[in-house]
Amino acid sequence: MTVLKIEKLVCGYEPNKPIVKEVSFDVDEGAFLGVVGPNGCGKTTLLKAIAGLLKPMHGSIMLGNHLLTSMDRRELAREIAFVPQLMEPVSGFSVGDLVMLGRTPYFQRFSFETADDYEAVRWAIEELNIDGLTDRSVTELSGGEFQRVAIARALAQEPRLLILDEPISHLDLRYQVNICKLLKKLRTHRSIIATFHDLNVAARFCSHLILMKNGSIIAQGLPNEVVTPENIWKAYRIKVSVKKDTTSHKAKYVVLP
Amino acid sequence: MAIKKNDQKRIIILISGLIAIAILVMFLSLLVGSVFISPKDLWTSEILWQVRLPRVLLAAFVGMLLSTSGVVLQGVLRNPLADPYILGVSAGGAIGAAISIVLGAQFVVLGMSSVPAMAFLFSLLAVYVVYRLSRIGKKTSPETLLLAGVALSAFCSAVLSLIVIISGNLQSIYFWLLGSLSSANWTNVYTVIPYAVIGLGIAYFYSKELNALLLGEDMAHTLGVEVEKSRVMLIIAASFMSAAAVSVSGLVGFVGLIVPHWIRMLVGPNHRILVPVSALAGAIFVVLADTISRTIFSPTEIPIGIVMSLAGAPFFLYLLRKRRMEGK
Repeated sequence: MTVLKIEKLVCGYEPNKPIVKEVSFDVDEGAFLGVVGPNGCGKTTLLKAIAGLLKPMHGSIMLGNHLLTSMDRRELAREIAFVPQLMEPVSGFSVGDLVMLGRTPYFQRFSFETADDYEAVRWAIEELNIDGLTDRSVTELSGGEFQRVAIARALAQEPRLLILDEPISHLDLRYQVNICKLLKKLRTHRSIIATFHDLNVAARFCSHLILMKNGSIIAQGLPNEVVTPENIWKAYRIKVSVKKDTTSHKAKYVVLP
Repeated sequence: MAIKKNDQKRIIILISGLIAIAILVMFLSLLVGSVFISPKDLWTSEILWQVRLPRVLLAAFVGMLLSTSGVVLQGVLRNPLADPYILGVSAGGAIGAAISIVLGAQFVVLGMSSVPAMAFLFSLLAVYVVYRLSRIGKKTSPETLLLAGVALSAFCSAVLSLIVIISGNLQSIYFWLLGSLSSANWTNVYTVIPYAVIGLGIAYFYSKELNALLLGEDMAHTLGVEVEKSRVMLIIAASFMSAAAVSVSGLVGFVGLIVPHWIRMLVGPNHRILVPVSALAGAIFVVLADTISRTIFSPTEIPIGIVMSLAGAPFFLYLLRKRRMEGK
C-alpha cells in the first residue's frame, strides 16, 4: 500500500530559488526510506516539505488519498511525525512529560490527558526501550538517550509516517547502530523516511534509498541499486569501490580507494 | 511508571491550597493598615468595605493579570526573561494612559473608558514594535528582544517625562511611573474583572499550544499547532492583561517575571499547571507586597511599584547570571 506519493515536487525557501527540483517517488507501508546525498543537496528541505513545514511551489504530495496541502494541521499531526536534527531539551521536563507532548494533536481543549494518551506514551517509551529513563530530566540525558526520547515523542503521535532528519549524525557508533535497529523494527505498520550522511549505515538498514544531488534525484531503488561506484561518483565526485555481501542483495560496504 | 495519573490529583490539591492561602492572606491584609481593624468589627467597618476590600481585591487581580501575562509572553516568545515590564509593554501602556489623562479624552470603546482603552492600545503597539524589531528572518532572537524592550522602555519613559513637563500635570501622571494601588476603588475592581477572566481563560485555553511551543516553532507546527494564529492570540491576550493592570495600578514591574519563575521551579514548565498556579501565586504575591507598601512606613505609604522594583531588579540580575552560568 502506498502511503506517500510525491510527484514533480518543487520547493524552497525563496520564490524562484527552488532547492528541491521536480522530485517524484512513492513510499509504501513498511518501507524505511533513506535519503542520502552531499551537503546542500536538498535532503532536509525535502523532509520539511513532507512534514508540512514548507509549502510546495509546484507538484503534489499525496498522503494516502489526501493532498497534503488540503489537510488541516491537527489532522496532519496524527499522520506524520517529525524528528528534527537537533531538538532542544526543555529544561524542567521529564522524559515522560516530553513524550507526552507528542499527544498534542489528540488533546481536547479543557480536559486533562486521557487514558489513551497515557497508554500511547507508555507504548512509545517501551518501543524505544527507555522505560528506565521515564522520570529523568531531559536535560541530563546523553545524546543517544535524548535521541531515543525524541523518537519516542514522535511515535506517541501514532503516525503513519515517521520523518527523521539525520537521526544518527551526531551519535557515536554504538547509538548509530542502536537507533537504526530500532527504526528498522518500528517500520512495521508505518513508514519511515530519514536522511543519512553515512552511506554504509543507510545501505545496511534502509529498505530503499534515494540519492540526491543539487535538488534532484539521481538514483532511487533498493540499496544495492543505488549504492554503486557510478552513482557515488555522480553525487560526490569520489571514486569508491563497493564490496557486495553475496549472501544478501544489500550493498554492505562502501570503501574509499 | 512515571507518567502519573495522580499528577492531576496533586494539581487539584496544589490549586486548592493556593486558593486557601490567597483567601487567608487577603483576610489578614484587610485587618492591617494605618488603622488596625479587629476581626470583630469586620462587618461594620467603613474603612474595610470602602477602602481596604477594593484595594485588596484589586491587588489580587493586578497580581493575577501581570503574572499570567508574564507566563504567556515567556511561552510565546520562548524567552524566560520576557515580562510585560521588561518588554516595554507596561511603559507603552503608561504613555497611552498619560496621553489620555492630559488630553482629558472622554470616550468609551468596548466597554473600556478612555484611560484603560488608550493604555491597551499603546501596550499592543509597544509589544508589536518590540516583536518586529527582534524578529530577524523567521527567528526571534532572545537577546535582540530584551534589548529592544529595554530601549523601548527607556524611550517611553522619556516620552512620559516630556508629557509630564509639557502638561504640568505632574501628580496624576507620576502615579503611572511609580505604580500604586492607593487609588483603588470598586469601579477599578469591576473594570479589571473582565480582563482577568478573559485573559486567564485564553491563557488556559491555549496551554497546550504554549507547551508545544516549548519545542520551537517548527516542532509546534508538526504537532498540529497553528503557530502564527496562536501566537497572535496569546500576545493580544498578554497585552490585554498587562494593559488592564497598568490602567489601574500604573507601572508595577517584575511580577510577571518573578512569579512565573518561582512557580516553574516548583511545578515544571507544563502550562496547564503553570498558568493557573502562577495566576494564584501572583495574586498572593501582590497582595503581600501591597500590604507591605502601605504598612512598613505607616502612615506614609510607599508605592508598590517601588517595592516591586527594589525586590525585582536584583532577582532579575540573579536570573540573568544563573542562565549565563548554565551556558544558555
